[in-house]
Amino acid sequence: MIRIRFHGRGGHGVKTAGRIVGTAAFLASLQVQDSPVYGAERRGAPVAAFTRFDSAPILERGVIDSPDLIVIADETLLADAGAAVLAGQTSAAAVFVNAPAGARLNEKYQILPPLVTWDITARTQAVLGTASALSAGLAAAAAKLTGLISAEHLLAAVREELRQLRATADVVDKNVTIAAEVFDQLSTVRFAPAASGIAGEVLTVGYEGVNLGTASILAPGNAQQRNTGTWRVERPEIDYDVCTRCGLCQLGCPDGAIKIEKNGFPVIDYDHCKGCMICAQVCPLHGIARTKEVRSW
Amino acid sequence: MVRQLLTGNAAAAWGARLARAEYVPAFPITPQTEIIETLADWFADGSMPGKFVTLDSEHSMLTAAGAAAATGVRTFAATSSQGLVYALEVLYSVAGWRVPLVLVNVSRGLSAPITLGPDHNDVLAARDTGFVQLHAETCQEVLDSVLLAYRIAEDARVSLPVLVNLDGFFLSFTREPVEIPEADRAREFLGDFTPVQPVFRASRPVAQGVAVLEGGLYSYFRYQMHRAVQNAVAAHTAAATDFERLFGRRYGTIESYRLDGADVALVMAGSFTTKAKAAVERWRSQGRRVGVLRLRMVRPFPAAEIAATLAGCRAVGVIDQNLSPGLGGIFFHEVAGALAAHQVQPPVLRSFIGGLGGKDISQAEFDHVLETLESAHAHDGPHEAELLFTRTEWDQVRNRLALAGKTWERSAT
Repeated sequence: MIRIRFHGRGGHGVKTAGRIVGTAAFLASLQVQDSPVYGAERRGAPVAAFTRFDSAPILERGVIDSPDLIVIADETLLADAGAAVLAGQTSAAAVFVNAPAGARLNEKYQILPPLVTWDITARTQAVLGTASALSAGLAAAAAKLTGLISAEHLLAAVREELRQLRATADVVDKNVTIAAEVFDQLSTVRFAPAASGIAGEVLTVGYEGVNLGTASILAPGNAQQRNTGTWRVERPEIDYDVCTRCGLCQLGCPDGAIKIEKNGFPVIDYDHCKGCMICAQVCPLHGIARTKEVRSW
Repeated sequence: MVRQLLTGNAAAAWGARLARAEYVPAFPITPQTEIIETLADWFADGSMPGKFVTLDSEHSMLTAAGAAAATGVRTFAATSSQGLVYALEVLYSVAGWRVPLVLVNVSRGLSAPITLGPDHNDVLAARDTGFVQLHAETCQEVLDSVLLAYRIAEDARVSLPVLVNLDGFFLSFTREPVEIPEADRAREFLGDFTPVQPVFRASRPVAQGVAVLEGGLYSYFRYQMHRAVQNAVAAHTAAATDFERLFGRRYGTIESYRLDGADVALVMAGSFTTKAKAAVERWRSQGRRVGVLRLRMVRPFPAAEIAATLAGCRAVGVIDQNLSPGLGGIFFHEVAGALAAHQVQPPVLRSFIGGLGGKDISQAEFDHVLETLESAHAHDGPHEAELLFTRTEWDQVRNRLALAGKTWERSAT
C-alpha cells in the first residue's frame, strides 16, 4: 500500500490534490481511499489530506500516522509545531516540499527522509496567475514520486476533479499543463516495504476529579500561544505618516491584534493578525496598505 | 415536620424550596406546569429568595439553568415529555460542563400520536446525557428525591446535573400524604452550595463548554463523566444514610420488595410499581413466592445490586413502561445486560411492555405476567417482548377507530 499525506493551508488545494491522486489510482484500477481533515475551516489555516492506494483491499481508515510519502504545500508549515507535518516521517520514502530547487531545508527542519523540492508556486503563478490552487502540481508530484501512476491517468484525474469544481475549460487546460510539467521533471523514489511493527502502550484510565475531568480553560490568555498570524494571506501595514491616531483600527480589530502605544499610534501584532483587513477598511484616511503576505505562495 | 396532602408537583416544588434553590428558569408544559406555578408564587411572596425567570423554550431554559449553575448558584428546573426532548441537546451540554443542578421531569408519552398520559420514553431518551436519574414511586419520594438529588449533584465525586422523574397524572396531579421536612432540618441535610470546580466570577476569566478537536481529549472527558456518574452510587448512599438519620426514611438505588426467598421477580420503575406491589400481596397470600425489584436509580445503572438481588430467582419478568421500536423494552435489555455481566442467569427472563401513554396495568395483566413466568421453562426458546393489553382496551380501540371512520377488518392479528 502507498500512503500519502498532504499538508497545506486552506486555499492551497491539498484536498483536491489528494482527490486527484485518488482518482488517478482509481483509473489505474487500484483500491483507493482519500479524505481530508480540517478543524477551523478558514483560508490559511493548516489542512491535511490523505490518499491510500493498493492492489489489495485497504483495511485502514482516517489519519495516516506512518506515511510513505509526505507532500508539503507550504514551507512555513514546517515551522508550525501544531501542524506536525513531519509526524511519522521515519516511515516515509521521501518528503516533497513545494520550494525552489536546492532549498536547504533538511537541516533547518530536521527532515530525515530524502527531500524533493520543486517550485510549484512559481509555475502556478506563471501559468494560472495565482499563488494558491496548487492542487494539480502537488498531485503530479505525488503521483510521479510513487512511480505507480501513469501520466495518462494523472492528467485524466486532473480534468475530472477540476471539472467537478466547475473550473472553466481554460483553467482545466492550464492545470493539465502544470501537472504534465511537474510529472515530467520529477523522478520516482524507492519505496521500502512498510514496517508492520505495532507500537504503543494501552493503559487504564481512572477517575481524576471534576477539575481535570471537565473541558474548561482556567488559564486566561493562553490563546496567545496559538500563532494565528501564519494564517494571513494579506498583510495590513500602517502608514504612520498618514495615521492621525484616531484608534478606529484598534476598535475594529476582531482579534485584539492591534494595540495603541503610549504615543497614541496603533501597532499590529503580526503573530496574531489573521489578515482580515477590517482595519484597512475602517481607516478613514486609507492609511493602512494591503500587501501580499510574502511566503512560498 | 408537617404532614400534608400534596400532589407530586407540589412535592417537587417543596423539594426545590427546602433545597433553597436560588434560580429557577421556567417554561410551562402539561403536566409539569403546577411545579413552576407553585414556585412562581413562592418567589413572588418572598418565601423563596432568588430569581424566577420565564424563558422562551425548554432549550433556553436548560441553557440558562446550566449557565446559572456554572456561576455557583443552586438551580432548579422542571419540564416534561416534548419539552425534555426539545432540550435534549442542552442536557448533553450542561452535563459536559459538569455543573450540579436538579431537573424534575414529569413523564408523559412522546408524540406522535400526541398524548398526556405517562410513560418513560421521554425520560429514557435522556439516559445517555450524563444526568444522574432518580425515578420516584410516591409523592413523598418526589420531595425526598429532590433533596437527595442536590446532595448527589453537588458531591465532589460527582458534580453533575441530576434528573428526578415522576409520572404525569399518577403522581403529578395525585395528592397523597407527604411529610414536609422542617426548613432547618433540610438545611442540616443539605448545606449551602459550595462549587467544587472554578465558577464564573467577575475579573476571573475561565472558559467553559470549550471545543475539543482531538479524539483522545474528547474520549478522556467523556470517560471522566462516565466515572463521575458511577460515583453517584456512593454519593447517594452517603446522602441516604444522612437522610434516614434526619428524617427516618431509607432509600436505596433499588427497592427490593418482598424479594427474600422469591422464585419469581418483577422488575419495574415509577408509580405503577405500586400496582405490582398490590399483585405481590395477593400472590403472597396465596403462598406464591413473588417479589418486585423497583428501579429507583436508573443512571448510574446499579447493575451489581440488581444482579445480586435477582441471583436466587428462577424467573424474572421486566415490565417496561416504554418501548424502543425495533428493540423492545429498554429496561429489559439493561437488566439482561446487568445479569449477563455479573454471570447471573435466571432460567427464565421475559420482557413485557405495559402502561404506554398512561394505559393502566390491571391486576388481570399482572396475573397474566405471573402465570407466564411461573409456567415458563428454561428451554422454552426465545420470546419477544409481549404487549400487555386487555379485551376492554381492545374493544375501546375498535370503538375509537370506528369513530375515526376506519373500516374495521375482522382479523385481530
